[in-house]
Amino acid sequence: MKERIDLLIEGAKQAINACESVVDVNNVKVKFLGKNGELTALLKGMKDVPAEQRPEIGKLVNVARDTIEGLIASKQADLASKELEDKMQRESVDITLDSGVCQRGSLHPTTLVQNQIIDIFTGLGFSIAQGPEIELDFFNFQALNIPKDHPARDMQDTFYISDDMLLRTHTSPVQVRTMTSQKPPIRIICPGKVYRPDDDATHSPMFQQIEGLVVDKNITLCDLKGILEKFAQQLFDSNTKTRLRPSYFPFTEPSVEVDVTCSVCHGKGCRICKGTGWIEILGAGIVNPKVLDNCGIDSKEYSGFAFGLGIERIAMIKYGIPDMRILFDNDVRFLKEFK
Amino acid sequence: MKVSLNWLKDFVDINVSLDELCQKLVSAGFEVEEVIEQGKNFRNVVLGKLEKVVKHPDADKLKICSVNVGKDEFVQIVTGASNIAEGDIVPVALDNSLLPTGQVIKKGKLRGVESNGMLCSGEELMLTEADYKGASVYGILIMNGETAPLGTDITQVLGLDDVILDIGVTANRSDCNSVLGIAREVSTVLGVPLKMPNFEYQVASGGDSEVNVDVVASDLCPRYMAQVVKDITITSSAPIIQKRLKAVGLRPINNIVDVTNYVLIEIGQPMHAFDLSHLEGKKIVVRRAENGEKITALDGNEYTLDDSILAICDQNKPVAVAGIMGGEYSGINDSTRDIVFESAKFLRDNIRRSSRKLNLRSDSSFRYERGIDFESQSMGLRRALSLISQYGYGKIVGDTIDKKSVNLEEKTIKVPTSKINAILGIEVPEQTMVDILNSLQIKTTLDNGVLTCVQPFFRDDIENANDLAEEIIRLYGYDHINCTLMDGAHQTSGGKTQTQINVDKLKEIAVSQGMNEILTYSFTSPKSFDTLRLAQDSPLRNAVKLLNPLGEDVSVMRTTLVYSMMSTLAKNCLKSNKSARLFEIAHVYEPNQDISVQPKETTMLALGMYGGGCDYYTIKGVVEIILRAFGIKAELVRSSLPYMHSGRSADIMVGSHKLGYLGEVHPSVADDLDVKERMYVAEIDVDLLDKIANLGYKFTEIAKYPPVERDIAVVLDEDKMAADIIKCIKKAGGNMLVDCSIFDIYRNKDAIGENKKSVAINLVFRLADRTLTEDEVNAKIDKILKKLDIELGATLR
Repeated sequence: MKERIDLLIEGAKQAINACESVVDVNNVKVKFLGKNGELTALLKGMKDVPAEQRPEIGKLVNVARDTIEGLIASKQADLASKELEDKMQRESVDITLDSGVCQRGSLHPTTLVQNQIIDIFTGLGFSIAQGPEIELDFFNFQALNIPKDHPARDMQDTFYISDDMLLRTHTSPVQVRTMTSQKPPIRIICPGKVYRPDDDATHSPMFQQIEGLVVDKNITLCDLKGILEKFAQQLFDSNTKTRLRPSYFPFTEPSVEVDVTCSVCHGKGCRICKGTGWIEILGAGIVNPKVLDNCGIDSKEYSGFAFGLGIERIAMIKYGIPDMRILFDNDVRFLKEFK
Repeated sequence: MKVSLNWLKDFVDINVSLDELCQKLVSAGFEVEEVIEQGKNFRNVVLGKLEKVVKHPDADKLKICSVNVGKDEFVQIVTGASNIAEGDIVPVALDNSLLPTGQVIKKGKLRGVESNGMLCSGEELMLTEADYKGASVYGILIMNGETAPLGTDITQVLGLDDVILDIGVTANRSDCNSVLGIAREVSTVLGVPLKMPNFEYQVASGGDSEVNVDVVASDLCPRYMAQVVKDITITSSAPIIQKRLKAVGLRPINNIVDVTNYVLIEIGQPMHAFDLSHLEGKKIVVRRAENGEKITALDGNEYTLDDSILAICDQNKPVAVAGIMGGEYSGINDSTRDIVFESAKFLRDNIRRSSRKLNLRSDSSFRYERGIDFESQSMGLRRALSLISQYGYGKIVGDTIDKKSVNLEEKTIKVPTSKINAILGIEVPEQTMVDILNSLQIKTTLDNGVLTCVQPFFRDDIENANDLAEEIIRLYGYDHINCTLMDGAHQTSGGKTQTQINVDKLKEIAVSQGMNEILTYSFTSPKSFDTLRLAQDSPLRNAVKLLNPLGEDVSVMRTTLVYSMMSTLAKNCLKSNKSARLFEIAHVYEPNQDISVQPKETTMLALGMYGGGCDYYTIKGVVEIILRAFGIKAELVRSSLPYMHSGRSADIMVGSHKLGYLGEVHPSVADDLDVKERMYVAEIDVDLLDKIANLGYKFTEIAKYPPVERDIAVVLDEDKMAADIIKCIKKAGGNMLVDCSIFDIYRNKDAIGENKKSVAINLVFRLADRTLTEDEVNAKIDKILKKLDIELGATLR
């Protein structure tokens, strides 16, 4: 009997190994474990086994059933996974084919620059302030220490709407509006469109500026340089150095032009920086105490600094755009370069 | 401000190289915009004499010249010129010479005869008649009057040995619009003394001033000085005067006019000379012009004056527009014998206004507009008279007239050094501060940490501690400034405003929908309103107008973004770009009825597209995503905008507010813009969107019980709109209906009739507290069908 059991197991093993499909395995299962299967037949032969051997043989038969069932299950799992694998092979696609999904559009390069600048300064605790583009002469000029008929008005040619109303020539009126309505500490940046009657390769009658203003106690020229150097390092690269040169703006005193080391040649001198290694990027200065007083802030107690830069100019430097007019041309081929 | 280096050297010894000088000027706040080395583009061009001229043996038109180029050196040159003769003095370009035209001359052979250079014409030396008499003659430049030794470099002969610096003078430094002013800065940055010009002159004995000055409008003319000079012979001025005027771009005219111009450039004081014989009554009256009074100025044009304009008059009439330009009639001409010099201070603002009003500018008005200090009148006049004396141009007669209505007092500023350091953020040694200020002629003393500074008359821009701090740091050096990060300041939170965040979100949505951001001008053409077919009384035609636009095309502020969008689409179409999807966020401007009140500015979003298979539903889709992202439920109703396709455009309504519109551009508008493609546009009021946005999120429990889904198809008239069908179903469906959507529309004249459509709708029912029964759902569907029938005439298909 024992030999028959062993033979049975051996036969089942061979049959299972020979299976090539789930159907084959099912057939084997029926053949060995089914109602009319070989193991059942074997069990039927138990009555011929002497009674004292029956428990032992019974155990052997059960072991044989378990073994065969195990083999079948394992073979079934193997085959199922192979079949799944085959199915996936059959379902294979060209993984490189174009998706046909709607392409991503793009932000205008000046928006990219503006967003970057806003992110840098909001990270330094600056808020965003905005104001009207059609401004009163008072906010655009007079409050900023530029009275009517002052020679400094020649620095900013102006589009006029009436005697007292104009298209703002800078976003500084937003600074005035903030200072007249808010108490220090003030830390703002003012992005927006500004207008001056110039039109050539480096000037547009409409362009965008970001100005910044800090008013607080103990603000110094060193703070101005420190903040602007941090800014330039984030805007260009971490090795960027800044240089201050004296200049004149009626609303700041002292006034400076801020140069940064050329981001293209890193100060060695190239076409972009005209061989100087430096690029002028913004105008800045310590807020003229007269302006603070004009805005109702006590200049004996508070001081501040202000700066302003042209976004188009920065975009031209950063992306190597040779002519400002390209930025206003809105050719989709150009716009798509900034996806 | 153009400054001649040679002129500058009259007043200051320049002990550094040109490069270093420029660098030092820049770091002191004077940008050197251009450096022009006059003789730089010449090489090997010398003065020569034609000793012998013979005909070329083999060419009728050529001549062989033996040219003496100094030290008895003779060179043979072949020329084709016909205007030369033996003995002529001419410019000679030797072998390997360079002309300012960029031409390089090398020796060669002409018809077999060796030629070792070229005789030059005025044109080849880039000279005009003003530079050298005879320069415009066709042929060789004949320089027979020249006394310089043969072989002298031509740049020396022509006086082209100067360097011209074009220096940017900022508006606060009116004192530096002169050679002397720049010399003062140079002396400070180089640390060398400033030498003053010669002010000495002799007054002829026994003469009387003869002229009477009456300053009526002393409020506009705080100081008026005058001096009579007689027995003048009008001639050309001394070569050095002419040379220097030419170097800085002024045309020499005659000895008297040149003296006034020389003083203008050197001292910065505008001067004027009147012909005494043309001053009626021998009177100078400084008064406001009468309204309608006329004067013909030196530029030959007639100007009509008014009582805001200051005029210099004789007994009867204006003879000059004060500070701006003299009159033609009283000007200096060849027969002038006696003159009156004027050296005056006029009010800055008044000159600026008058000059703009008359649209008349001059070197003189430029300086008055920037401000002339109180001491310049006397310096200018004395300098002019010293030049008259030096060159013997005339007899200075009588007393100097000096009418002054203001007596300036010295202003003193007291500032603690600690205040200066607090502005700068560094410690500048006290003695350094004192030394710098004194070197700028700001007389400064130090007492117990306090600076006492006397403001010089020529620096009325120095008023407070900040002004002094700037003077100190620009000379101490900005490289001393360190980088600090507002260690002494308060911390602030910062960040974007909600509006800014919303604008960013809008842009991000547009970009994710494949749209490219554009940037267009805020100004537009009034003609754009016609292109948009706007009615004559359309509020969109009411635009803010610029008083001084750059052109008609950009003369009004836009009242809608749609025209800019359409023209940008059209421009892309014209460039054969197959498709475009664009957006822009910008302001539109609506004038206030009260013109003294600022116009209303509204932020708008414009979308636009053509090509790439887009249609009405593409742009509607983008708008829907935007509305959803801002939590806004809007209704679309047919739009009647004149520039939109009447069958394919919709107004976006939120309650009674019009949030915007969308759809296809009117075919005639597209045609006017030369666009063959169908264009789709939308415009959304971002400020309104901002206001009605519903950005809050709130949790709702997820349904536990299963939904029941049913599809129905109903037949109704073609003009019944989807939104009305859905609305009708939802009304009938009540709470039990959780979703309904149209998934198919079928048209077939034969099967369902003409002007009919079959609309297939998916309905989803569910209750929150239990599973629905079949009967309940069927009853609801019956109710829905009945409602569709009553309201829209729909029948179940």
